[in-house]
Amino acid sequence: MEIKIENVSMTYPSGKQALKELNLDLGSPSLIGLLGPNGAGKSTLMKLLSAALMPASGSIYVDGHPLSKMERTLKAQLGYLPQDFGLFDELTVTQFLDYMAALKGLRRPKNAIREVIRQVNLEEKAKARIRTLSGGQRQRVGIAQAMLGNPSFLIFDEPTVGLDPEERIHFRNLFSHAAQERLVLLSTHIIEDVQSVCDQIVVIHQGSILFSGTPAQMIQAAEGHVGVFWEQEAAWEEGLHITARVNTSQGIRCRAVAKELPSFVQPEEPSLEDAYLYLISGEVAQ
Amino acid sequence: MKIYKYECRRLLWNKFFFGIGLVLLFYGWQVLNRVTILGVSRTAPFSPWSFGDYLSRILPLLWAGALFFLSFFTSVRAKRADILTDATPVIPWKYGLARCGAAMTGTGLLTLLCLGEAFVFYGWYFNWYQWEILLPTVTAALIPPLVLGLGSGWLLGRCRPWLLYVWMLFPFMCRVLPLPKALGLWDGRFFTEYPQTLGILDPVFSMPASVIAVQLLAFAAGVLLLVFNRPAGRGTRRF
Repeated sequence: MEIKIENVSMTYPSGKQALKELNLDLGSPSLIGLLGPNGAGKSTLMKLLSAALMPASGSIYVDGHPLSKMERTLKAQLGYLPQDFGLFDELTVTQFLDYMAALKGLRRPKNAIREVIRQVNLEEKAKARIRTLSGGQRQRVGIAQAMLGNPSFLIFDEPTVGLDPEERIHFRNLFSHAAQERLVLLSTHIIEDVQSVCDQIVVIHQGSILFSGTPAQMIQAAEGHVGVFWEQEAAWEEGLHITARVNTSQGIRCRAVAKELPSFVQPEEPSLEDAYLYLISGEVAQ
Repeated sequence: MKIYKYECRRLLWNKFFFGIGLVLLFYGWQVLNRVTILGVSRTAPFSPWSFGDYLSRILPLLWAGALFFLSFFTSVRAKRADILTDATPVIPWKYGLARCGAAMTGTGLLTLLCLGEAFVFYGWYFNWYQWEILLPTVTAALIPPLVLGLGSGWLLGRCRPWLLYVWMLFPFMCRVLPLPKALGLWDGRFFTEYPQTLGILDPVFSMPASVIAVQLLAFAAGVLLLVFNRPAGRGTRRF
């Protein structure tokens, strides 16, 4: 599946411009991490790609055809986990997935339901009513419904929210496995999730794309802009973006990113998180 | 069909359905034993007029029940679930039909509960089973308002979920407001006042043209609202 986003802008009725002249090409197989601060436009982009919204201007093409004419075709191949969603509390996990399978037009979905329940580790809760599930378990039901029917395009908006570290790792691996033959778009605040599995990163800030490339390219862009220092005076922090502050017996050890590092800062190898903060802090400063 | 089955399960297999069912049975039995048993407008308790009076008294509860069923599809919680269902390739009008069918089934079952209670009452006290003469009364008194309730409730609930709860009060308001005679089936006065104007004892059930016109209009409006109202949360939003 190939998706082409051309000069897409999106303005809400409130007047807030969520996306500005966005251009992006997505192709399978690939696991693309979408990063950006709150309100950057990530969820709006995902809503546009799931045909829940139509852009104010610009076009989205799916396999060369305009999305507006391919809505049902796209939805037939789509698995979508939004950031904020509701479930039917009156139904059991299996019943809810059977309901979603009917909406997705799956015939004889029993095996597919059993398989996604196994993938999200909910076998023990398969017959439990959704109202009895914890937040993390509900999130797993959300992931299961997205993966139901083996869709070729998966959109996950903050999928690991509410999951414990062990579950997060499990789902990271699951997404990575899914991306071997599909297009997976993963939006998250957790840089670690992106670093571990994504082969491409897109950073969005204030509705525009700040960066698009591989994690290695993003780290490379931050080289020479990350360093550590022992804090002696509070004034030293001026002009630096402090990313870590550790109290030790020898004093306070700070990690910082900046466009130009002062002489008292010892350069260090940037991590993906540093690189992300370097990108964002540069934009904020501007 | 599967969606219809699951929607019926959501609507009918819960405390609310059993609760409103019990309230309807209790209230209906009180009306039958205290009002209907005496007969209205000097007609027999099992006359279409007395039975119509019983129906008009339980109509507000049936209306509230029908709107409660719709709240399963229009509440804020339901709209959050619509985000998931909107991303599926299901045809919106088919999905809406399944949901609407489930709400109608629930309302129909509540109505049958009330009719069943009256059936037991008439059989028990009067050994009377000629239900075919009461069918026009049921058709005229219940079907138009309940169809209008479902259609208008769907529209209001989609605009603002809380409007549905305000709209539940509508038939209660009708019973206390001075309405024109053409709206006599909505305030219940038709069954107590109209037979007396006919000048004969225990008259055959009939309705003046103005009352028929109002009921037909209500029915048509309800059908139109149901047909042309796209189901809650469906469709692509274009800003």
